[in-house]
Amino acid sequence: MASRRKLLLKIIILGDSGVGKTALMNQYVNKKFSNQYKATIGADFLTKEVMVDNRIVTLQIWDTAGQERFQSLGVAFYRGADGCILVFDTTSMNSFASLDAWRDEFLIQSSPKNTENFPFVVLGNKIDLENRAVSTKRAQKWCQTKNNIPYFETSAKEAVNVEQAFETIAKSAIALEKEEIYNDFPGDIILDRDNKPNNGAACNC
Amino acid sequence: MSSSAPGGLEGPFKFPNSPEPQSSSSSFVVPYIEEERPESPAKHGLDEKDFEKLVLGSDFVDESNVDEDCNVAQELKKYKYNIFVLSSAGKPVYSRYGNEDKLSTLFGVMQVLVSFIQDSNDVLKSIRCNGCTFTFLSKGPLILVSVAKTQQSDTQLLSQLTYVYNQVISVVTLSRLTKIFEQKCNYDLRRLLSGSERLIDQLLVFMETDYAFLLGAVRVLPLAPTARDDISNIIVSACSKIKNLVFALLIANNQLITLVRMKKYELQPSDLHLLFNLVNSSESFKTAESWTPICLPLFNPSGFLHCHVSYLSEDCQACLMLLTVDHDLFYTLSTAKQKIVETLRRKGSLKDINDALALKPISASELGIYGLRHFMCKSRKHPQFWSSRVDTPYDTPEEVEHLMSLYQNLHQHVHHPTRPLKLCYQQMDSEIMLGHITAEYEFYFTFEPLVTKSDAISAAGRLPSVWLKDDEEKKKFIFTDPTF
Ligand SMILES: Nc1nc2c(ncn2[C@@H]2O[C@H](COP(=O)(O)OP(=O)(O)OP(=O)(O)O)[C@@H](O)[C@H]2O)c(=O)[nH]1
Ligand SMILES: [Mg+2]
Repeated sequence: MASRRKLLLKIIILGDSGVGKTALMNQYVNKKFSNQYKATIGADFLTKEVMVDNRIVTLQIWDTAGQERFQSLGVAFYRGADGCILVFDTTSMNSFASLDAWRDEFLIQSSPKNTENFPFVVLGNKIDLENRAVSTKRAQKWCQTKNNIPYFETSAKEAVNVEQAFETIAKSAIALEKEEIYNDFPGDIILDRDNKPNNGAACNC
Repeated sequence: MSSSAPGGLEGPFKFPNSPEPQSSSSSFVVPYIEEERPESPAKHGLDEKDFEKLVLGSDFVDESNVDEDCNVAQELKKYKYNIFVLSSAGKPVYSRYGNEDKLSTLFGVMQVLVSFIQDSNDVLKSIRCNGCTFTFLSKGPLILVSVAKTQQSDTQLLSQLTYVYNQVISVVTLSRLTKIFEQKCNYDLRRLLSGSERLIDQLLVFMETDYAFLLGAVRVLPLAPTARDDISNIIVSACSKIKNLVFALLIANNQLITLVRMKKYELQPSDLHLLFNLVNSSESFKTAESWTPICLPLFNPSGFLHCHVSYLSEDCQACLMLLTVDHDLFYTLSTAKQKIVETLRRKGSLKDINDALALKPISASELGIYGLRHFMCKSRKHPQFWSSRVDTPYDTPEEVEHLMSLYQNLHQHVHHPTRPLKLCYQQMDSEIMLGHITAEYEFYFTFEPLVTKSDAISAAGRLPSVWLKDDEEKKKFIFTDPTF
């Protein structure tokens, strides 16, 4: 087996307060669920080692607080993220409506190189509950308009689709990482149409 | 007990166009003005009728507006200590009980009261009527009001409001608060505070039940000085190279184990209380390493410190807080924390902490001093205190509350603003209270009611030598001052 370097991926979980971000993370990392709500204060940090595509990957997961007061303080941990999980509560229309703002805020604060292809995944959580307010169709449609973000309907309580969701974000983050490494490599020389020699000062950015 | 409102309120105090009550349905009469007429408002040119009108305003009297749970009169009468926070525009920010939205009339009235007096370049400090004290604190864009049926002094009531104000600042910072209201004076601050009401709720309970606030000090986890020094040294050596780390503190079960600080910077007791309160009211810290902003108003009201919060380990429930001004320091602090825990474990410090946590504080009766029920001791040099276990006859929550009110009363006499006392003896209905200030300590005692004055005073004099003998003093208080 090729001795590839160990990969570390930084994943941020965002969404309104109470949608189940901490519950999803707890289900994923500790296989536990609690009905009790303990608001996240600031951000919680957890790590988990997983095998993705035959490769050991350490996921650094930042479970952020949805409360409004923490929102503009995200900068420090959004920066350098490899993937972002957007969560809403399928029983709350408001939490779904907030997705746009969460995504925009994230893209502004983290300023990834490639906003078009940045790895997102959207989770509609709490599908075990009866009082559904956001239809699958509606959620899927939103995801399509945002460059086909993968969408999962999850239940942190009953461990539905939680593994799959985290695996998907890990995979797309790895894919993007590969791509970026490739892109970072000095590319072939592209000659100008009028064949002026490239003296390296052409870029004034 | 004097019942005059403090502060000279000389200015004219009139109410333009106070709405006439449409009916005087008795169920909406605010209870505290039913029997006795309010003294203070009358003193300051506000006649009773005006006051009544103002407080009862037309909305209050319109029955259709008032359902069972928003009956303001009931609301005010129901609680021993209630507190309201509103913006200077009169918008609700927080109320301890009930739904702020339903109390909006009351908030309006409070705003009017405060701003009327402000208009005459004066400050409304308190109104006392029918066993209730309304205390007002107007700070920047916020107005804080408490309604207390307790016997606390004005200073104590004001200090509670200041704590709540500081708690709000700690969540949003003063600079943000000021800026927000400069831009939008009708801003609904509940948006920013949502989720942190719990911090205020908890702070109020903390103030009512813990002597720390009354004494302006923190509890210390008793530890042998060498054990404590080991812990401090381990923290210092793991952190000394980290730039911008301002404070490191270790807290367990509401007691301070150690506090290491950057030279030049100190942590005031009231800021420490806010940190204790944060830890006490945030269950979520127990499950993961957290990174959270917190503003400490006395340290610096205009900005956030970033705090790495984590419990040491599954088998040692002490909480480590590393506070820095650098928002990018998380990973550095996370590594330092791991190093700290490893070393603490290797040197046996985790065991020392656990052993100390397992020991309950002694009961006053174990000291063999006749008639002594309870006592506490505060260091005058360091903001630290110790109190004996609360024991029989203070077994019920009501009894514990009663004991608190006795100490509040004793404390206010000992620390009288103009006439402080070195020795204060109070014969109360069912106990004797004694305050004794020595060069190093403040002692507060509760005795059986039948103990004679001379016995009580001589016991008080003897206690330090019994209780602080050998190395006990150095275990119960932290005299060292470790720095990075
Ligand atoms: N029935 C059900 N309840 C859930 C599910 N996920 C979370 N909850 C509950 O929803 C509440 C909030 O969950 P949290 O995970 O703490 O919410 P959060 O998004 O982390 O909230 P903040 O930390 O305030 O941002 C808790 O009481 C959970 O038990 C789910 O899949 N099904
Ligand atoms: Mg959470």
